[in-house]
Amino acid sequence: MFERFAGEARAVVEDALTEAERRGAVRIASDHLLLALLRNEEIAAAAGTDAAAVQMAADQLDRDALAAIGVSVSEVQLPPSTVKGKRATRMTSGAKEVLKGTLGYAAAEKSPTIAPRHMLLALLDRKEPDPAAVLLAALPVDRGELRERLARAA
Amino acid sequence: MNEFDMERVRSADPATGLRAVGALHRLAERVEVEHVAKARAAGWSWEDIGDALGVTRQSVHAKHGKRERNV
Repeated sequence: MFERFAGEARAVVEDALTEAERRGAVRIASDHLLLALLRNEEIAAAAGTDAAAVQMAADQLDRDALAAIGVSVSEVQLPPSTVKGKRATRMTSGAKEVLKGTLGYAAAEKSPTIAPRHMLLALLDRKEPDPAAVLLAALPVDRGELRERLARAA
Repeated sequence: MNEFDMERVRSADPATGLRAVGALHRLAERVEVEHVAKARAAGWSWEDIGDALGVTRQSVHAKHGKRERNV
């Protein structure tokens, strides 16, 4: 499936690996794909947010979750590129669904290339408790409106 | 911090609880990296560190030894 990803879309998947490792995850999950995708300036502009804002939202979700179980931390930072040799090479089933959806959107448009835009559409389809859906819900992003705008950009 | 309250853990919903677990893992990882480096700088052997963490000398060395060589 991944072989059909070219250029920018492939770069997003590779960046997602970096995101996963920075967060100490052993698998690439849908939220890592979302974080990586928003490093793309065009996508960030379309969504009206950027990778830094999404990162802050993710950190805030962590702090809130810890507070809810009675652990108070004023600041949760990502571990600096944690453990060497522990590579996140596999994807979670949610992340695989996103890639499948991405292909689906490209095919539906009969698009010869798989664009980052197709991946954002696929991410918008995720439902909570999927991590990307949780993260999108925490952002000041109107998902319905964004979906329409992305569809019009076809 | 007040005494850890297991009731609060029980009352959290699973989405929150599982997210907290992920955040705790990352925090633990950070504390481990920091203090393994400190212990090494203070002359602890890998065996001493493994004993402190309740793991083998080999596993702690495999995990952190490379970092030391990079420094």
